[in-house]
Amino acid sequence: MNMRINRVILFAMFLVVIENSVFPWLVPSAWSERLLPHLCFIMTLYVAGFTGRHKAFMFGLGFGLLQDILAYGHLIGPYGFGMGLLGYMAGLASEYRNFTIGFFVWVVLIGGVLLDTIVYLIYKLFQITELQYAYAFYWQIAPTALLQLLIALLLYVPVRRFLVKQSLSSGEEGSE
Amino acid sequence: MRNKRLFILMIGLILFIALMGFTLGRTRLTWPEKFLSDAFGTVQGTLYRPVGAVADFFRDLGRLSDVYKENEQLKQTVAQYTQDQIRFNLLEAENKQLKEDLHFTEEQKKMDKYRYLVAQVVGSTSNPYEKTITINLGSRAGIKPEMAVRTVDGLVGLVSKVKTFTSTVTLITDLDPSSSKGTPVSATFLGKPESFGIIEYDDVTGTLQMTKIDERDKPADGDKVITSGIGSLFPKGIIIGEVKSSQVGDFGLTYTAIIKPAAKFDHLREVMVIVVPEVKEP
Repeated sequence: MNMRINRVILFAMFLVVIENSVFPWLVPSAWSERLLPHLCFIMTLYVAGFTGRHKAFMFGLGFGLLQDILAYGHLIGPYGFGMGLLGYMAGLASEYRNFTIGFFVWVVLIGGVLLDTIVYLIYKLFQITELQYAYAFYWQIAPTALLQLLIALLLYVPVRRFLVKQSLSSGEEGSE
Repeated sequence: MRNKRLFILMIGLILFIALMGFTLGRTRLTWPEKFLSDAFGTVQGTLYRPVGAVADFFRDLGRLSDVYKENEQLKQTVAQYTQDQIRFNLLEAENKQLKEDLHFTEEQKKMDKYRYLVAQVVGSTSNPYEKTITINLGSRAGIKPEMAVRTVDGLVGLVSKVKTFTSTVTLITDLDPSSSKGTPVSATFLGKPESFGIIEYDDVTGTLQMTKIDERDKPADGDKVITSGIGSLFPKGIIIGEVKSSQVGDFGLTYTAIIKPAAKFDHLREVMVIVVPEVKEP
């Protein structure tokens, strides 16, 4: 199985725009600090599952840094580092297991928790946040990971349909 | 093989720590950053604003029952406002005359005349530790770093990074002076010009706090809190919020007030950047 990487990149750019412009409006006021899904990270995990660890690493690194630059207030790099590393790890894990949806659910959940944990630790290291980890986990990390899981499952069918090259029918179904 | 991976991971970690340390507390941006931010900012704007308008419409529909009460309140406010306007005109004329008499220089007279640049919000971020919004004015429109930003309701934040066509605004909830990159916001109570305090944001309760209030200026519930303009980047007289409750501070010598912010910090659509007249350095 392989992915149409050009289309994946286009789609991921579209997701960046959606994440920063449409998503904040969908989340109600009371939850706007708690539900902060990273749509590109979900795509990174799909890339890891369908193509392999090296592409996932590059993809995660690139879009993580893009996200960092767009949000640049204090420092650049936490998401670049986290998404690159986790893309690689997810690619590594999916080489040992078959890519089933049950397996992917676990990858998205654990990956989401790990990504926000890494970002939290980096901000803690630079003393920008003062929150306790237990509080950050309950307040933001856990709800975000669950929402990411939901979005990942919603994206599963479109991703398989439009972005993954089926091994035999590699024709141009639905080309532009 | 395993060693090689670990080795690369270590190098990556070091590189990234270096990158983060390098980008920490920098105000100038390089052109790739500006280009990327401008490009995505512009595209985001075309989606953020219409979606915001639709979302606001539905939110307003939900609040339709409150309109009658709100109208009543507004009528009262307008009545009070006309009263105040008369008083204000008199006082302003008197103030101007006094400034004339005391030979104020042209710059000193213009100190309080802020110019407002109206900006549309074109995006917010999903990073929980960098609460920033992007606005559609940049260095082309005369925006400079560290200008204060407000909405119609009150103070919102500070311009942190300026690109050519867009800029990034850090919200005051992210300027906590107890964190390593904070900026203190000095505040005072409306009507008590001598009072002084510093605004902090409490992540856990999600409220603003005004700390280090002198014990002579005991805060009363409902007092309006405005920026004082002393020793900080924010120009004076911008409303921050009103006192919800107060208590004796950490060492028993000062007061701490919990503040209900006047402005909302999420779902923003339109903000105003405050341009303070420049004072020529001698």
